[in-house]
Amino acid sequence: MEEVDRILIHTLRTCGTEIPEEVQSVRHFNTELIVEAVVRCLRVINPSVGANLSHILPPGMSARFRIGTSLAQACQDLGYTGEVGYQTFLYSSEPDIRALLIFLAEKLPRHSQEDADQPAGKSAVLQREIATKIKQQLCLPWLPPSCRTAAAKRSQSLCLLHRFHAQPLSLAGDSSSKSIPPDRKEYWERYLPSVSTQLPHAYSLAASLLERNTSDLSAVQEWEAEWKSQGLASRLSPEEYRSRKRQRLQKRIQDQLHKFSQQFTENHIPGSSTQDLVDMLKAFTVEGGVDQNKGSRFTHAQKFTHQQDPQVLTEQMQRAAESLPKKDTQDAEAEQQELSSLQQQIEDMERDIQGLSETTKQLRLTIAQVEEETGKLQQHCDEKEKVVKVKKRAVELLPDAENNLAKLQAMVDGSTQRMTNLEGQWESHRARLMDEYREMKRLQQEKEDESSRWMKDVRDLYDKIRAAADEARRKEELYKQLVSEYESLPKDVSRAAYTQRILEIVSNIKKQKEDITKILSDTKDLQKEINNLTGKVDRTFVVTDELVFKDAKKDEPVRKVYKYLAALHENCSHLIQTIEDTGTILREIRDLEEQIETEAAKKTLSNLQKILEDYKAIKQENALLLGRMRQT
Amino acid sequence: MELSEDSLRGLQRLADPAQFSPRAFGAVLRAAFLSLSLSPDQAAHPAVDDTVFQHIPPCHIKECQAAATMFILEAVRNTIDRAALSTFLEDCKFDKERTEHFWTEYQKHRESLEILLENIGRTPPHVSDVSWRLAYEIKTNQLYKTHRPSYLVKFNLESPDTSQAKDISFNCSMEQLQDLVGKLKDAAKGLERTSQM
Repeated sequence: MEEVDRILIHTLRTCGTEIPEEVQSVRHFNTELIVEAVVRCLRVINPSVGANLSHILPPGMSARFRIGTSLAQACQDLGYTGEVGYQTFLYSSEPDIRALLIFLAEKLPRHSQEDADQPAGKSAVLQREIATKIKQQLCLPWLPPSCRTAAAKRSQSLCLLHRFHAQPLSLAGDSSSKSIPPDRKEYWERYLPSVSTQLPHAYSLAASLLERNTSDLSAVQEWEAEWKSQGLASRLSPEEYRSRKRQRLQKRIQDQLHKFSQQFTENHIPGSSTQDLVDMLKAFTVEGGVDQNKGSRFTHAQKFTHQQDPQVLTEQMQRAAESLPKKDTQDAEAEQQELSSLQQQIEDMERDIQGLSETTKQLRLTIAQVEEETGKLQQHCDEKEKVVKVKKRAVELLPDAENNLAKLQAMVDGSTQRMTNLEGQWESHRARLMDEYREMKRLQQEKEDESSRWMKDVRDLYDKIRAAADEARRKEELYKQLVSEYESLPKDVSRAAYTQRILEIVSNIKKQKEDITKILSDTKDLQKEINNLTGKVDRTFVVTDELVFKDAKKDEPVRKVYKYLAALHENCSHLIQTIEDTGTILREIRDLEEQIETEAAKKTLSNLQKILEDYKAIKQENALLLGRMRQT
Repeated sequence: MELSEDSLRGLQRLADPAQFSPRAFGAVLRAAFLSLSLSPDQAAHPAVDDTVFQHIPPCHIKECQAAATMFILEAVRNTIDRAALSTFLEDCKFDKERTEHFWTEYQKHRESLEILLENIGRTPPHVSDVSWRLAYEIKTNQLYKTHRPSYLVKFNLESPDTSQAKDISFNCSMEQLQDLVGKLKDAAKGLERTSQM
């Protein structure tokens, strides 16, 4: 109760009520204090209502009565559900006053905390910044462009912007790295212009630098993403992966270019573009040996197709003719003649060239044919030679036929034996090698499984790292946000004391609840036991009763026993009854005592006295007023 | 705020007192800020024959100057505050003195750098003035008689070239003009509302 009272007094002090220091609980509030507190709270909650009421209790009884009723009305308008009337203020009782003051304190608007309660989330902060900036800019009057100050320029000259035009910069790289050729290092040392002189304008410099930075960063990020997804799965080292990728890409580009250049030759598009394409291909494939042959075959193919050349010549001539400066008509005529004679010569030469090339073609064809024939004949020759050799050998061996036959047979046997021998050895070797091969394969499979397991672990680790980094970033942002929020909060109320007290109260309540449950379970057990025992008593009595009654018919002492038994039972039940009654009466006593306490706190006696006095005072006032009225 | 690896390497080299003496460091910083300033005659690069740079190979100077310029631009772009700047520079192994030096120089030039970055971009042209003419249409070739007003409105635009004033002129009926004016009023109200938030 003291806690509540202290908080209440503190709240009332903050809305302006002057509560003297010795008043520590609501019990000590006197009527004037109550009225002042309530009026000030009403003023804060609802200024229109509170303005009409003064917080000083007037001396006159009727005025007091009026104020009491108006205060009660105001509290009921606010929504107070309890019973409130003029008597709550003038003849107060502690619990009523406490409830009313708590209700009013809750109704107090938390104006001081309104601003601090604004969410300090990022979007809210951003919007607030935008709003202030816009307000600032709206306050500046519009000035014509020539009169604008620097500050006005920043908000009003926004149409005179420069484009974001990023241009490639050449920057010095890592000069200590070993993969840079020394010529490049020398270029960096001597000839590379510094960054500020590469572009003429600060705007383009800024744009290009920002672009360069972002592209470097994103290239690194893309490589990391690709490496994590595909590179690790391919189990190559980064350099190998990169070189393989480069080869793949080069091959694709070559294939595409070949395809398109073939399309060009098929469609007989003028040769200059094809020639350029072919040159580019040649330059492109200068590293691959096989592709060079392809390229050179292509150039040979070009040389064989004649349709291109005259067209090339005529085109070149046309271009030359267009670029030549215009001369006079005389020179023009002489030129024309020269031109026609040259043309004639050219045509003759062309014809010759054509004839010659045809003959070369034919000759080449015949050469090819003849070569083929010679090849065939050579083969034939070799075969015949082999046959001749065998026959010669046979003829040599013929005179000494039988010996030689035997020798030959022995040789054949020996060679078959050697064959079987070798086969046996080969089998043993083969079996051993097969076993080794199988063993190696198994080891390799195991290693692959292990490496795929490690791969999975690595990927999990990467994911965990990324998740942890994200979490850390988020927590840092949250921390920054909360720190800024905390700084903006008002520091006048010590929340720590309150929270500690609240926690203490909570633990107390928990303990009490435990105690209560324990007591309840004890009570339940006791009640069960009582019931058990009463039941037992009854049953025992019935059994003994029957037993004794049976014997009582025959024997006299047994009859006496029976009478004593009955008396015992009755007395015991009487005893039990009295005990129960005592318990109930004790309980009633306790209840009555509590009621007495609550009634005593209501100060009803003193209130009644006050009421009587006030009633007498009102009566006197009424009599006075009546007298005055009668006089006038 | 992130920088590419080359720039980080350049910054770390710049922080090394063995390679760059304090005077050399100051000279490189000054050159970097000058290269980003808007006044046209100051785009000088540090003269390699300065006595300050005697012992430093020129490719290092160029690398560090490029790195410093990039760092300055990124710092202005992210409106970095002092705490974040000092943490970043500490990560690049800058000692306290150089961080201080950098911060003072940065504060001096921050305004002009912000203006530099703000002036890059594109917006639609601003309307600075309007002139209108009210005409009355009597008939057209498609209708025998149309008696209705028509407005010829001309917006004067601001352009970077003050000699050549551009403008937009158009012709509209009364409903279209009312529509336009209504939209302008909505836009103004929306702006007011945003600024009240």
